[in-house]
Amino acid sequence: MNLPIISLITFLPLAGAVILIFIPGERKEWSRLIALLVSVVTFGLSLVLLVNFDASQAEPQLVEKAAWLGYGINYHVGVDGLSLLLILLTTFLFPIAILSGWRYIDQRVKEYHLFLLFLETGIIGVFVALNLFLFYVFWEVMLIPMYFLIGLWGGPRRIYATIKFVLFTMLGSLLMLVAIFVLYSFYYRATGIYSFEFADLTKMILLPKVQTWLFLAFALAFAIKVPMFPFHTWLPDAHVEAPTAGSVILAAVLLKMGVYGFLRLAMPLFPQALAKFTPWLMVLSLIGIIYGGLMALIQKDVKSLVAYSSVSHMGLIMLALFSLNPEAIEGSIIQMVNHGLSTGALFLIVGILYERAHTRLIKDYGGVSRQMPVLSAFFLVCMLSSLGLPGLNGFVGEILCLFGVFQVNKVMAYFAVSTVILAAGYLLWMYQRVMHGPIVHDYVRSFRDLNKREIIYLAPVVLMMFWIGLYPNFFLRKMDTSVNLFLKKIQERQKYFVFHAPPHPLVSVVSESADLSDGLILNNQSEENANNKGIKKP
Amino acid sequence: MNQLASLAPLLLVLLASLLILLLEAFGRWSQRIWHATVAITALIGSIFLALNWWEKTATYFSGAYIMDNVAIIFMVLFSLAGILVILLSFPYMVDHGFNRGEFFSLLLLAITGLMIMASSEDLVVIFLGLETLSVASYVLAGMKKHDEKSSEAAIKYFLLGSLASAFIVLGLAFFSAQNQSLNLQELTSLATDKLESPLFLAGLCLLLVGFGFKVALVPFHMWTPDVYQGAPTPITAFFSVGPKAAGFLVLFRLFYSIMKIEADVSSIQTILWILSVLTMVVGNLIALRQKNVKRLLAYSSIAHAGYLAIALLSRDGQGLTFYLLAYLFMNVGAFAVLVALSAKGQEFHELEDFNGLGERRPWLAAAMSVFLLSLAGFPPTAGFLAKFYIFSTAVKQGFTSLIIIAVLASLVSVYYYLRVIVHMYMIKEAPALPAMKAEPPLLLIVIFFCLYGVFQLGLFPARLISLIRQALTTSSLP
Repeated sequence: MNLPIISLITFLPLAGAVILIFIPGERKEWSRLIALLVSVVTFGLSLVLLVNFDASQAEPQLVEKAAWLGYGINYHVGVDGLSLLLILLTTFLFPIAILSGWRYIDQRVKEYHLFLLFLETGIIGVFVALNLFLFYVFWEVMLIPMYFLIGLWGGPRRIYATIKFVLFTMLGSLLMLVAIFVLYSFYYRATGIYSFEFADLTKMILLPKVQTWLFLAFALAFAIKVPMFPFHTWLPDAHVEAPTAGSVILAAVLLKMGVYGFLRLAMPLFPQALAKFTPWLMVLSLIGIIYGGLMALIQKDVKSLVAYSSVSHMGLIMLALFSLNPEAIEGSIIQMVNHGLSTGALFLIVGILYERAHTRLIKDYGGVSRQMPVLSAFFLVCMLSSLGLPGLNGFVGEILCLFGVFQVNKVMAYFAVSTVILAAGYLLWMYQRVMHGPIVHDYVRSFRDLNKREIIYLAPVVLMMFWIGLYPNFFLRKMDTSVNLFLKKIQERQKYFVFHAPPHPLVSVVSESADLSDGLILNNQSEENANNKGIKKP
Repeated sequence: MNQLASLAPLLLVLLASLLILLLEAFGRWSQRIWHATVAITALIGSIFLALNWWEKTATYFSGAYIMDNVAIIFMVLFSLAGILVILLSFPYMVDHGFNRGEFFSLLLLAITGLMIMASSEDLVVIFLGLETLSVASYVLAGMKKHDEKSSEAAIKYFLLGSLASAFIVLGLAFFSAQNQSLNLQELTSLATDKLESPLFLAGLCLLLVGFGFKVALVPFHMWTPDVYQGAPTPITAFFSVGPKAAGFLVLFRLFYSIMKIEADVSSIQTILWILSVLTMVVGNLIALRQKNVKRLLAYSSIAHAGYLAIALLSRDGQGLTFYLLAYLFMNVGAFAVLVALSAKGQEFHELEDFNGLGERRPWLAAAMSVFLLSLAGFPPTAGFLAKFYIFSTAVKQGFTSLIIIAVLASLVSVYYYLRVIVHMYMIKEAPALPAMKAEPPLLLIVIFFCLYGVFQLGLFPARLISLIRQALTTSSLP
């Protein structure tokens, strides 16, 4: 089957957004239906992707490549075990996010869905890009719709929140852009070929000094996105002010882009620097776990409670990622999906409550479960999934992450377990205050329970929670080979160091056929290549 | 004969300019549509005549006039800018009471000056072009005779501009004391040791001051905000695109031929380094505080001059040309939106006037957002690729710290561009504005054309880039 499946998944939402431009603004139902239809079809296509995915193949597959701008800038997309689940998570959550705003979003409906679809293209693009330029373009493009989503449909402090979000992310990504330029020019000096391809760039081993700086630039961009402590301050603002769908997408998918950036770029590109900074990054992740959890405990606002819980959970994911063993990496990837599902669902539920009471403060609720038994059941499952109850998805991810961390650093693992304890604390306490107890406020009595639409979009999420919780192998086995290859490459490259005189004093390139156990073999043909290709040095 | 024909694009514009003056004086056409038609026809004709000379380098007047590919690209750029500005001015003139034929004549004259600047390697001829441009520009800035700000702009521009011209003349004198010829080609034969001689450096600095004034490099930018704000909006659009492109081309030719003698002339590099940092930082920081969008765009154009100066430093002709083309579309587009925000005799360019524009005129606001995002350098717009090319070449040449400053400066710029979008979409309370007409169709044409340019250059510029490279290689600029 020669369908360009990945391009279809990536650009179908964009096509939907373009169609929406021409829908008259008064036809709100049309906009909603088109957006829903497009996102559901995209999800359907991603299932085709899942079926066609060959789990035994470690390298990116279903690759599509086309020349674009020249000088190493190609349109090159593909999917492997590291990105597959994240793509599925994205396409799975967008229809749900669109359904969640079905009634609540009543102003500028067309634009709202237009930006959501635009955002979907940006996010999927980040996950499928195999060319650094393309990656960066999607990485930046996605800021624009998110900026509008928070700024137009957000809460009272939305302008502050959205500008803070954009500026924080841009700060990281612009410095990363400089690092990308440096990387690009080093690769050119070493080989005489312009390339932005991940596959080419990861063959290059730079001197530790250079690696350090480049790694720091990449790591800053991704750490802001994750967000790791102490770069998290934009997150609670953005979450609290964003509309429900915005929060869901932000927590469930956007944050994963940061982790994915580490996984796909920062770690394989700069293995020596990674080794050097791993202890620091692990400590920061650990601080994030505990700090996020403690902050969540004292929040008065349900939404910012869930936001801080994200900081804590993402800390565990990062901690596992830096442990660099198969359990930990698989754990952190599956935990990304879990966090996407459970936190996404929590934001959906907060959104449902907000639509009824127009407040997010915990003290304004109480006794809701009497009025909304169905909601309280859903809420309970999602909460238990988030705090890692066995049988639900959160447990699988957390246990794998903790196993992985334990193999590397026992002390850290002891501290990391606190994520579960803290999560139990802030989530159960919040649940108790919101759902149980006597009804204090009269308006709670007028709450309707979930309607069909709300059940329709919550049910699949809960279903997935059980599926991953009870039979995680279906998902874990998809990534085995890719994760192993990823670790193998990093570990091999961490061992080696430049000892030949490279074409440029700061770089060396491992040639395609080099047997790594013999050390680095330089690409001797670099000068000839440069001449043959007629590339002139400026 | 053939060689004479290479003058045709230039002469056509010049003749049209004179013809319009005659029409105005003797013609009994009360409708300016004829003047505009003549002007646009001449510019379109000039584009075709110029393109005719692609790959056929011709020189005339013993090397003083060169019709090479680079000159052609810039001539097309100027003519495009001219056409867009005429389309913008036509509705604007009527509303703002300077409905006069000589406007078109002067605009064409200014474009002639630009074309002379772009198609010569002789510094004296370049100066002639510059003066042709300047004199026409001073009058154009003051076209709104009954508006104090416009007159102030004209006077300021005239006084400071003359001063800048004086600097250039003095610089030329220093140059010719050093070596007999003022031709840039022959400058390359200069002995290396002369490069560091005080006389040469002084001459170079004086030229840099003069042309730096035209392209608004800090600290020679003082005129920019006032002139940009005071001049009629379509003319501001023209100022921000045309003279900037020509000035940078001249500076590029100058520095390129000097750096060809010796690649690392550290004193020159240091000067350019400092100028570009100053320009980026000052332009962007002052733009933060602006409450008037037209003035904000003036400071943003200063900041963009800073990014362009990086291309001078890294001798990146391709990046420079691409940036200038991208800048043409995004900046003229933004000014076209400003032109649309006017009523009879009034313009509404305060930030508060933009409140709720997304509701009142959704298409206009959407277009403005695209232009602003492009100016801020977001993909997939032309602004992103333009910055991308200049920055990546500079890093390749080892100016990493400069580029770190540049990206931080452009981060600052994101804030103020986004602030305009905030006002258009996210602040509800609408200002009390008189009813404005819907956009005249001419304006819509300009806006759509600019949108098209912004996306075309942002997504599929491969063909254009290969053309630019081809042009630069044949013109022996890299």
